[in-house]
Amino acid sequence: MSSNNGRPILEDVNVIVAGQGGDGSLTVITMLAELLRTNGLNVYTERDVLSRIRGGHAAATMRAFAGDRYCIGSSINLLVALDEEAVEKNARQLDSRSVVVYDDSGGPVPSVLPQGAIVYSAPFNRIAMRTMRRELYKNSIAFGVVGRLLGLEDETLRETFIKHFQRMGQVILEYNLEALGLGFHLADEKGIHEGEGLYRIKKTAPEKRMLITGNESVAFGFMVAGGRFFCGYPITPSSEILETLQKWLPRCGGVARQTEDELAGINMAIGAALTGTRAMVATSGPGFSLMQEGVGHCGSGEIPLVIVDCQRSGPSTGMPTKPEQSDLNLMVFGGHGDFPRIVLAPGHPDDCFYLTVDATNLADKYQCPVFLAMDQALSQNIATVEPFNLDGVSAVPGKRVEAEDIEKAGVYKRYEFTEDNISAFAAPGTPGGMSLVTGNEHNEWGLVSTDPVNRVKMMNKRMDKIKAAKSELPTARHFGDKDAKIGFIGIGSLFGVILEAMEDLEREGVKTRYLQPRTVWPVLEDVLAFIDKCSRVYVVELNAQAQLAHILVHQGADPGKIINILKYDGIPFRPAELAKRVLGEEGRMIKKGKKEAKLQ
Amino acid sequence: MTMQTHIKTFTPARPIWCAGCGDFAVQGVLEKSLHKMGIPPHKLMLLAGIGCSGTIQNNLPCYGYHALHGRVLPAAIGAKLANPDLTVIAAGGDGDGYAIGAGHLVHTFKSNPSIMYVVMNNCNYGLTKGQASPTSPIGYHDNPESGMDSILLGLSFPSATFIARGFSGNPEQLERLMEAALDHTESRKGFAFLEVLSPCVTYYDTHREWRARVYNVDEEEGYDPADRSMAFQRCLKLRDEGRIPIGRIFKGVHPSLESLTLNKAELPPAQQKVGHEGHREQYDKFINSYMG
Ligand code: SF4
Repeated sequence: MSSNNGRPILEDVNVIVAGQGGDGSLTVITMLAELLRTNGLNVYTERDVLSRIRGGHAAATMRAFAGDRYCIGSSINLLVALDEEAVEKNARQLDSRSVVVYDDSGGPVPSVLPQGAIVYSAPFNRIAMRTMRRELYKNSIAFGVVGRLLGLEDETLRETFIKHFQRMGQVILEYNLEALGLGFHLADEKGIHEGEGLYRIKKTAPEKRMLITGNESVAFGFMVAGGRFFCGYPITPSSEILETLQKWLPRCGGVARQTEDELAGINMAIGAALTGTRAMVATSGPGFSLMQEGVGHCGSGEIPLVIVDCQRSGPSTGMPTKPEQSDLNLMVFGGHGDFPRIVLAPGHPDDCFYLTVDATNLADKYQCPVFLAMDQALSQNIATVEPFNLDGVSAVPGKRVEAEDIEKAGVYKRYEFTEDNISAFAAPGTPGGMSLVTGNEHNEWGLVSTDPVNRVKMMNKRMDKIKAAKSELPTARHFGDKDAKIGFIGIGSLFGVILEAMEDLEREGVKTRYLQPRTVWPVLEDVLAFIDKCSRVYVVELNAQAQLAHILVHQGADPGKIINILKYDGIPFRPAELAKRVLGEEGRMIKKGKKEAKLQ
Repeated sequence: MTMQTHIKTFTPARPIWCAGCGDFAVQGVLEKSLHKMGIPPHKLMLLAGIGCSGTIQNNLPCYGYHALHGRVLPAAIGAKLANPDLTVIAAGGDGDGYAIGAGHLVHTFKSNPSIMYVVMNNCNYGLTKGQASPTSPIGYHDNPESGMDSILLGLSFPSATFIARGFSGNPEQLERLMEAALDHTESRKGFAFLEVLSPCVTYYDTHREWRARVYNVDEEEGYDPADRSMAFQRCLKLRDEGRIPIGRIFKGVHPSLESLTLNKAELPPAQQKVGHEGHREQYDKFINSYMG
């Protein structure tokens, strides 16, 4: 172990705590994240759980860093393994410099660790059972050891416990403090004394930052955009949006309702939208499939609605707790018939906030369904973000008519043909604004019509709305070397992974640039222009069919320039893994180039 | 219904129902009741499902919405919660409400929003040419299953507050029931469920049969609609006798969904101005709750 003076300052560290579901891995990580944040570091946490209530392998990962990182790093510095399986499942993320804290109550550490990894074994479980008669306290004992290893002071660890456990009552707090003390004792036995861990903590005055998930950021964005009606049916990984809004929306006079199913969800939100209320639903793949009929109805009836799809692994019920981006086709092409829609894709919790505000405004303005393409990692991982800037966003009302306007005009048509193809909306309750809203083809008055001339005009009116909207849809963000010939495109939680893989590639001498499309549909010019400018573009996706790449090619991108990098094993990309895949492709390109040169 | 004549909005269509269809009576009675109750057309939101009965919203000058098949109730609830000052009426048929929409009916009884739901029950699918519906009896089109009774279903909910059944062949009583139902929702007492026996003269003309089978609890001395067990017993007994109870079957007391859901200190969702800064304090609190 390095000497006191040689210890590095904690600038970027990845920690996994793993065990069985219910072992408290998430609790340990959450407390650590809180603690390191108060020391001025940024944090990012990820969880890996099985879709079951209790038991099964469960891991929580935390990265604490000074500066900007938007994903878990490539290798794990510290693994806290509460059982054998925890080592086996996570060994592939370790390297020769990793440190493993292992609960050897059940037997010695499995021999799957990389050469050079340092192991601290201690029977947390046995100590907890022997001293405290409860297995439950093993994670608190482990926390003591981990805290010491990270270079944190005993007192700050104790304070964290007090803050965390006080809510649960004095007795629970005292037991946990006792367990923490046992952890310190154990650390002493292992020679990890206070202030002699692996790192030195540089105390900085903590900047005020939020620690928030993508789902919570979406909920807040909707609220700030004047969203006042939300419906949801619990489904992983979207449920936190429902839970957050149930807590906060009523305080602003809004309604957040758990419905009997997804069909009720989308239709209840439609009912609210019909009154002029800004409405949103959130779901995941299987629920989104159920909502398709309602989606098309919004398109045909020109009903504004925001629909959040927190994508998880499919098809069908798939892997509910694993990230994927395989509903893009359903968002872009789903539903029967032709109708306009907008699909936005945020890449980080702050992006989730600002794009939800945009989505809510756009739905109201263009009177159509607007989707937010999330993925499980983006939805549920916790990140530090700058406090959302409320002055930087505004809720822009859509085209409305009030009683006086109607009075003056002397006529009101819900689906009036207009210059910009958007018909003004009269909210129910407005005298003179009576109208019919229907999914059936209708004339300007809303009366059902199969007249072919009207049909074509009405269809064009709806489809053309979005053409006009293109100029004000959220544009892509550009990163990296402007002159690089090799490009990246990727959305959602891949944002952070790509940014960091680019650094790895740069170190290998490969210069790249990255375009993060924030509007997926309609495909905007800037995305196509980016592909044009590059020699080749790696389109990175968490799905098996390269759905995003297909959408881009469908809209005019040169398929010869696109190289698909796909992952659909349910495990988030690590930056090094992505960089390696790209290097592999680059190697093949070089070989191919040489071969071609020879053949000439 | 009255309406500002100088403003040109859509002209209600003429009903497309077959001559003699029971739905005419339902529409007639509905218009009369709305007029009598003085509900102005711009305050009325009429939502209808899919099916013959689901075309009713085309025929009335008000804010109309043609819902997806079976989904009229959630849409109506959403509208009511967003703007409780509106009179919200959902209409539909037995296929729409009891087959594809059955789950929503169950949950509407459970949640008790102050909306009126008129189900025009004709015991078949008229619009798609007469297939069996959830209320069709055994033997209709070789139907092997017995029909369901929505009244008995509703009675099983402790939260049910208004359950009635009318008959298009008895428009005077239907009018009384409709007014009582509207009065129930207008005074925010909760969900007013009104099933109307509305014969389909084209595919399943039950007019005569029903006239012979209906039993009017309103005329029974000593029948107490506030007595749930009496309502249950009477309905079960009549069913065993091959008779159909009509009238004001049950009236209970339970808080309405909107009274339980809406924040009374704030304007309801639809009445808030989009874009105002009124909730800045709450927004700041939200942000603060995520800060270290
Ligand atoms: S088919 Fe039957 S229910 Fe439909 S309109 Fe004709 S008579 Fe009425």
